[in-house]
Amino acid sequence: MSAETLLDPSVLARIGNLELLARTVVDGFVNGLHRSPHLGSSTDFAEHRSYMPGDDIRGIDWRLFARSDRYYVKQFEAETNTNFVVLLDVSPSMRYRGATEGPGSVGKLDYGIYLAAALTYFSSKQRDRVGLATFDDDIVEYVPPSAKHLRLVLHALERTTTRAEAVAAPEAGKSTRSFTLEEPLKKLSESLRRRSIVLLISDLYEEPDAVISALANVRGRGNDVIIFHLLDRTELDFPFLDATNFVDLETGEKMPVIPEYLRTQYREVVATHTATLARRMQEQRLDYALFDTSKPLDKALFTYLLARERFSTAR
Amino acid sequence: MGLLAPAFLAGLLAIGIPIAIHLINRERRVVVQFPSLMFLHKIPYRSIRRQKLRHILLLAMRCLALVLLVAAFARPFLQRHSAGTSSLLGARERVVLVDRSYSMGYSDHWKRALDAARAATRGLAGNDRATIVFFANDPVAATEPTANPARLERAIAAAKLSSEGTRYEPALKLAAQILSASNLPRKEVVMISDFQRVGWGRRDDIQLPSGASMTAVDVGGSSPASDLAVTQVSTDRDRVGERDRVTVTARVTNVGAVARTVDVTLDLGGRAVETKKLTVAPKGVGQARFTPNAVPTSATRGTVRITHDSLPQNDAFNFTLTPGEAVSVLVVQPSKPRANQSLFVSRALAIGDRPAFHVDVKSEDALRAQDFLARSLVVLDEVPPPAGALGAKLRESILAGTGLLVVPGDLASGRWSTEWRPLMPATLGSVIDRTRDAGATVASVDYGHPVFELFSAPRSGDFSTAHLFRYRQLVARGDTGVIARLDDGAPALVEKTVGAGKVLMWASSLDEYWTDLPLQPVFLPFVHALAKYAGRFGDARGWFVAGDVLDLSRHGELTAPFVADAGAGAAGDAPLVLESPSGHRTPLTASGAEHLSTLSEQGFYELRGPGTAAGSGRPIAVNVDPKESDLARFDPNELVAAVTATPGTGAPASGTAAAPSELERGQTIWWYLLVVALLLMAAETVLSNRLSKAEVQSM
Repeated sequence: MSAETLLDPSVLARIGNLELLARTVVDGFVNGLHRSPHLGSSTDFAEHRSYMPGDDIRGIDWRLFARSDRYYVKQFEAETNTNFVVLLDVSPSMRYRGATEGPGSVGKLDYGIYLAAALTYFSSKQRDRVGLATFDDDIVEYVPPSAKHLRLVLHALERTTTRAEAVAAPEAGKSTRSFTLEEPLKKLSESLRRRSIVLLISDLYEEPDAVISALANVRGRGNDVIIFHLLDRTELDFPFLDATNFVDLETGEKMPVIPEYLRTQYREVVATHTATLARRMQEQRLDYALFDTSKPLDKALFTYLLARERFSTAR
Repeated sequence: MGLLAPAFLAGLLAIGIPIAIHLINRERRVVVQFPSLMFLHKIPYRSIRRQKLRHILLLAMRCLALVLLVAAFARPFLQRHSAGTSSLLGARERVVLVDRSYSMGYSDHWKRALDAARAATRGLAGNDRATIVFFANDPVAATEPTANPARLERAIAAAKLSSEGTRYEPALKLAAQILSASNLPRKEVVMISDFQRVGWGRRDDIQLPSGASMTAVDVGGSSPASDLAVTQVSTDRDRVGERDRVTVTARVTNVGAVARTVDVTLDLGGRAVETKKLTVAPKGVGQARFTPNAVPTSATRGTVRITHDSLPQNDAFNFTLTPGEAVSVLVVQPSKPRANQSLFVSRALAIGDRPAFHVDVKSEDALRAQDFLARSLVVLDEVPPPAGALGAKLRESILAGTGLLVVPGDLASGRWSTEWRPLMPATLGSVIDRTRDAGATVASVDYGHPVFELFSAPRSGDFSTAHLFRYRQLVARGDTGVIARLDDGAPALVEKTVGAGKVLMWASSLDEYWTDLPLQPVFLPFVHALAKYAGRFGDARGWFVAGDVLDLSRHGELTAPFVADAGAGAAGDAPLVLESPSGHRTPLTASGAEHLSTLSEQGFYELRGPGTAAGSGRPIAVNVDPKESDLARFDPNELVAAVTATPGTGAPASGTAAAPSELERGQTIWWYLLVVALLLMAAETVLSNRLSKAEVQSM
């Protein structure tokens, strides 16, 4: 089986065991790389720098002081064993499975779970401490980061699938909940005690300013944030033909729509939204990537690896 | 509003098809669950509404097109009394032709015809106009084109049956003239008749103006007619001893399918003389021959009548019995005539019996003034016109109507008195001798002239076989007519009208002295025609047919008693009165400007002279046209198809002119509906194509 096949979401959807799925993804991905991933080398010396008031005096290189009569601080490569926390949006909009629902179809939530499982497994193999937080308008489940929490994370992800299938869509006008990122991300940032790599997987149905504002809570505590923006192909192309009533999965609101006449405008609005998000994320030095859930997972893994590599060289 | 084919309304069910499709499409949009309507909210809502409206517009166009198609097939029409009809489709010029020939008196046909005429004029809207034309032999417009219903109603109420027969052609010509002169956009003819076959010649070439429609309203009914008619009466005269007798024979026709026995009665002088029973076979003819009666001494009214039936107009036949009326001819010959000079002409005239000619031959020196009294014709056979008092008497007689035939021969013109010169149709020239070239021939004759009318048919007389070896050159005056010419162009026979009389001049002789004409077969009929014409004696007729024109100038036998009574002071312009059976009096003259009158009423007219008492005048019998008694009918559609460029499709309306088919055909609303439906379909196609293209481009 080729690596590309192994990374195809429709193929992965047939794998019931999430751990097996994650291993399959990671192994398939790693075997397909042309170079080995250099994932840090624990406490290797990096360089010296001048002592600055406030530096821990335990970091002063006394031997060099003896030779040069000056205070230098030794700097080492960053810690390899970092926290890796996945923030998975499980709001109703993430349950959308596209226009062609069926046994082989992969919804946004499934795709997010695959990504979360694969990257958690991957990080765990790097001896990172892995954790998980699922949220909608509040935190649904939280697995604190730990080197031993891989299975807990995977189980939590499986429960997320089951729970999502059990929850029915709200009726029109009955839902008073507001699925915003602000509140859950604020709570999660408070629970992260150590600097972490935070991977946010969401469809980001929120105005770019509100998204940036919500991410500022996480980003402000020194965490490195990666945003995976998941959208179904249907959400991007709006290929509907018949005039229908569209129901908002989050609010239950109905709207009569004649897709054929709105398609062009819809695509423009979506393109504007994603472009604005990308621009704003770049301004905030946040790693942002838009994923079409019909595409293989390798792009997501590459994006993560690039980010992980960059984070691993941080001093 | 009405519908000619309401069953097509069932097609409205087809509207359910686009509506069902629309509803099905609506059902399909139950719900589509979508992650968020956030982006859709950012699209202006009005565009959604507009697109929805476009779809509703398409649905409405499809439904409307279907409705219009169904309505077109149902062939709607607007009732006549609809005020908007005229303004919507244009004003109408309608000519209502009502048959008033006497056959319409059969059963209740006339009443039905008047009802149909009222119906045809009742529904006229604002700018519509109608003309009522009654027709029999000839059409008479009872009104000018008018929109006034009261005038039309008055004309219909005043209508009476005619005694004439039916002729459709003149009526249709008049209708075509009225329609051609009209500037109204819609032109219609409604013909109300019993559609007798005898009235329509299939070769009649009449065309109504383009675009005009015609509706035939048949009031003749469908059941075969049953009628007996007296169609002919003959009077045969014979002589028993010293008495003239006349035997009257009547011909009775049965057009019904059942044999009928009727009483046939002969009336003479207003008194029933004899009645016979006669059985007439179905579709057959019977004859009733009455006992001979003595010929009356004066003109007497006679009638043969049968028991009245469903068509009483043809149940009586009128005729006039007259004593023997002969043309009195005076032949004046020279005191020393040639041998047999007047023999040929006197013998030729003696042969005639219709009319009989009483010929007196006198020598010029034995001539007296009373010889000219009651003469129809005076022949001056190579004798100069008498001079003096005798001449004046003859001139008076000529002015009163006596004819004069002048045969100059080789008389010297100097012997003619100057008083006669204005009366002569020509001046005398030299005598032409054509003996060297075998004589002249009569090369040109006016076959339209009564003298030569008899010879107009092929093989009815050949004048070219006669040779005129010598003849007198006649120089015709400007106001005279040359009736015949010789092969060298010289006049052979000239005439001139003088007062009520005619003066004719023959260039050659009446014996074989100058010509061999008396030896030719044409001589006898030529002399008879010449004498009858110059003597103003028409064919004595026992009766006329309604519609005939009475020309008194050609019926001297009718006016002779009054002219003679008028005496020397009377002339051709002597006032006469013709009283119709209904009592209408028409002033006439024997030969003047008013010598014509149409005999339109069945019965006895009476011609009276000055001072003649009522009832003592000359009766003139008038009968209905016996051809009209043939009640056989023809299909009115033939007539409609023949006279209209685009014949109507509907069957003839029965009873009322404003039949739905006629209304619908005149309005053709279905055509407009069909056009609008097609335009809607085309618009719907264009619109839906545009929407589809927009959809494809947006995909």
